[in-house]
Amino acid sequence: MTEAEILHWIKETALGAAVRDSTWLFWAGQSLHFVGLSMLLGGMLIVDLRLLGFLQSVPMRAALAFLPLAVAGFLINLATGIEFFTMDPFMYWPNPAFRMKMVLILLAGLNAIVFTVLEYRHALTLGSGQNVSTLGRVSAGLSLGLWLGVLLLGRLLPSFEGAKGLF
Amino acid sequence: MDSLAWLEQTDLSTWLRESDWGFPIMLCFHAVGMGLVVGISLMFSARVLGYAKAFPLSAFDRLFTIAWVGFAINAISGTLLFIGEPRRLIQTPAFLIKLALIVCAGFSLWFLMGTLYGMENPADGAPRPPHEPVVSPRAKIAAIIPIVFWVGAIVTGRLIGYTIAPPPE
Repeated sequence: MTEAEILHWIKETALGAAVRDSTWLFWAGQSLHFVGLSMLLGGMLIVDLRLLGFLQSVPMRAALAFLPLAVAGFLINLATGIEFFTMDPFMYWPNPAFRMKMVLILLAGLNAIVFTVLEYRHALTLGSGQNVSTLGRVSAGLSLGLWLGVLLLGRLLPSFEGAKGLF
Repeated sequence: MDSLAWLEQTDLSTWLRESDWGFPIMLCFHAVGMGLVVGISLMFSARVLGYAKAFPLSAFDRLFTIAWVGFAINAISGTLLFIGEPRRLIQTPAFLIKLALIVCAGFSLWFLMGTLYGMENPADGAPRPPHEPVVSPRAKIAAIIPIVFWVGAIVTGRLIGYTIAPPPE
């Protein structure tokens, strides 16, 4: 199938049609998307700040306990994001801000995998006043930076409709 | 309304309304501020409700400082967004309701803090509440209220774009 055929198929799914025909589904999805991003940002702020060495009074494990809330926020946004995409794939797919946003999300996911594989188990054993390695801190800093970028690009999507590139 | 019409004639208002990047930049700041305020508030409510019990409530002092920074970012960006289209926004119910919900969210957080840390000095001269308070059932109920108001503010905020009053003649 060509790119256009795939996008057309996505657009013609029941979900896509339902969102386009509805007066409220897109608005409701946007609202949920903002709640999800708040959960993601709030949760990652706690986790990443502690990993970076702030909030020293907090046992590392207790800070990491907020990861599932961040993941829940991410999953809400994945679902609502799919809702948006099916509604108008021909607008999102070529949009340079959308593409860069997806790249940053993938990088954030990769960063999370690397952290989980290399640092997570050790981090769980650390108490208050104890800290992860430099690698762990770099990962935490990257995490905050990447998710901030995702947020900003998402907010700027309408400004890049029809644009050839980000710059 | 006359003063708002005058406001719309200013360079600042005109730039915000007519430039390509005025509103988008303000909305970016507004999104960051929202993420900080609502995000930290939601995490705090989760903690009070019993999530991540090993996380000291006192550690949220620092986090609320960050939340206040987010609130300041949104007060400023929100004011600028308003300055761009004041007459349309003042006539948009969703906008006014959103502001009311934000005030309610603030009050509900203050009330929640009261249930945790107590606002009165104990009459019997007992020591002040401990730095790490016990979470009462009352506090848990109080922790749900900010969630409702913040989600309400987000929902009505999203509604502004769909229901904004037409441009004045």
